[in-house]
Amino acid sequence: MIKKNYLENLNNSNKPFIIYRSKKGFDLYTDFSKKIILTKNNIEKFINQSTKLKSKKKETDLFIGFFGYEILNNLIGIKVKKKKGLKFPKGIFYKPETKLKLPNKLNYKNLRLVKPNKLFKININKSSYKVIFDKFKKKIKSGETYQIKICTKYSNKAQIDALDYFSRLVKTNMAPEAFMIKDKDYSIISCSPENLIIKKNDLITTKPIAGTLKKNMKLNKVKALVFFKKNIKESKEHNMIVDMERSDLSKICKVGSVKILKKKIVEEYKDLYHYVSLIGGRLKKNISSLDIIKAMMPGGSVIGCPKISTLNLLNKQEKENRNVYTGSFGYIKSNGDMRFNIIIRSILNYKGNSEISVASGVVIDSNARHEFNENYIKAKALMDLYK
Amino acid sequence: MIYIIDHKDSFTHNVVHQFERFDDVTCDNFYEINEDKLNKSKVIVFSPGPGAPKDYPISSGIYKRFKGKKKIIGICLGFQQILHCEKGKIIKQKKIYHGYQSKIKVTSANSLFKKNRKFNVGRYHSLKLKEPFAAKNFEITMRCAISNVAMAIENNKENIYGFQFHPESFLTENGNLLIKKILSA
Repeated sequence: MIKKNYLENLNNSNKPFIIYRSKKGFDLYTDFSKKIILTKNNIEKFINQSTKLKSKKKETDLFIGFFGYEILNNLIGIKVKKKKGLKFPKGIFYKPETKLKLPNKLNYKNLRLVKPNKLFKININKSSYKVIFDKFKKKIKSGETYQIKICTKYSNKAQIDALDYFSRLVKTNMAPEAFMIKDKDYSIISCSPENLIIKKNDLITTKPIAGTLKKNMKLNKVKALVFFKKNIKESKEHNMIVDMERSDLSKICKVGSVKILKKKIVEEYKDLYHYVSLIGGRLKKNISSLDIIKAMMPGGSVIGCPKISTLNLLNKQEKENRNVYTGSFGYIKSNGDMRFNIIIRSILNYKGNSEISVASGVVIDSNARHEFNENYIKAKALMDLYK
Repeated sequence: MIYIIDHKDSFTHNVVHQFERFDDVTCDNFYEINEDKLNKSKVIVFSPGPGAPKDYPISSGIYKRFKGKKKIIGICLGFQQILHCEKGKIIKQKKIYHGYQSKIKVTSANSLFKKNRKFNVGRYHSLKLKEPFAAKNFEITMRCAISNVAMAIENNKENIYGFQFHPESFLTENGNLLIKKILSA
């Protein structure tokens, strides 16, 4: 058990640390002996060497951190033009020397008085959103993409106490892939619900989410399932993602082993229902960590489909860097096992600037106003933390 | 050996996975063709993909070179690629089918499959074949049970087969059987 005030002391010490959701609570990683800042030139080497630590048994024999969106594009041979926005590192990984278990309830209260800035600026207003939306609809009609996710970004200037924000966020929006990173000049806070890779020995699974329904008094889990099944638009979006993830897994899995383990089920969260599938397979022999990452990332459900042509359309359209948004956070153990999520529902705070990115999908029957508002709802839960 | 030509689709590896059940498969990008392997292969498969057949002149060239010499199979865009090479017109359709499960019907007695059989398939297409369409030895053998849009072509004389739907999709019933039958034809 950890001592009372441990978190407070750690947070006040300015030592970098990471918290990641575990099955029953959280895992805390700190005392980092290495910090690797990723670039286009060192990423492959880093991934290949991450499994070459001599010791493979200790709980801290791993590298934990994140890949940003841009570097994941680069990794699969897609160029991204220089963009506006924060010049934030493309990826950072740490080698921890300490791992501790934290309970479900993070007992932390911020005592220092921080006055946050409540006012957020949005980078795409409603009318320019509509213009992009209509442009992408044309691309769907001509077959260049089947589904594409438009990203909008809310930003402000604020100094934040990341641990305070994270504790409050998980109190109201606990999610199976929640995490936070705090380092000297930046922090990331996320209540991501979406797992992209769990790899254990030769078993690999991915759990895409496509379809979200806000809870209300009349709904329950059974009714939510009926809603998703009857809603043709949600079903089509979901089907596409399932076939795409099957295809990504098929690149690295044994013939005939890729299976849908849970097909189109509903998972319940505090404020919403998600439409989820679980797909898994058995890895072929001699598949490396790099092969796995290249096959699966960036995660398809937050990009659109088909991946390559849709990424090219997005990169041509988007003026601002996505930074960590739709990248992946997680760890690679030295024995080759790994766990990675998709970074969504996140705040990046870097040198006193906060950004919250959100996206929602355009398929042929989506409606611009509805999707724009959906984006706002997704961002609001995070912006509320600044109150 | 089966040579699959990938048009940079996110479903291609489902096709690879499906065909690998029956034979060795090599899969290359349409702009990175391995001539040696292509020549040695028994079957050529044109994968699904974004865009329209006119965007892929290299694939059209391969089709024309090997037509009648090897078994050729086209899926979705690949199906349209074959039709495009056979002077068929590929046009936009009003209703767009992306991630759609629908019923189709075998409409020809000359098909490898039993006439009038209906089954569910997965569809991902915004374009379709403009009809009437006619080409020597080709027959439209399956159609959408509701809209009547062409869903399969067969040319049993020169061993050319195409599907507008996706036999590899989880939305398609008995997709493996269908491919098995085409491969052993």
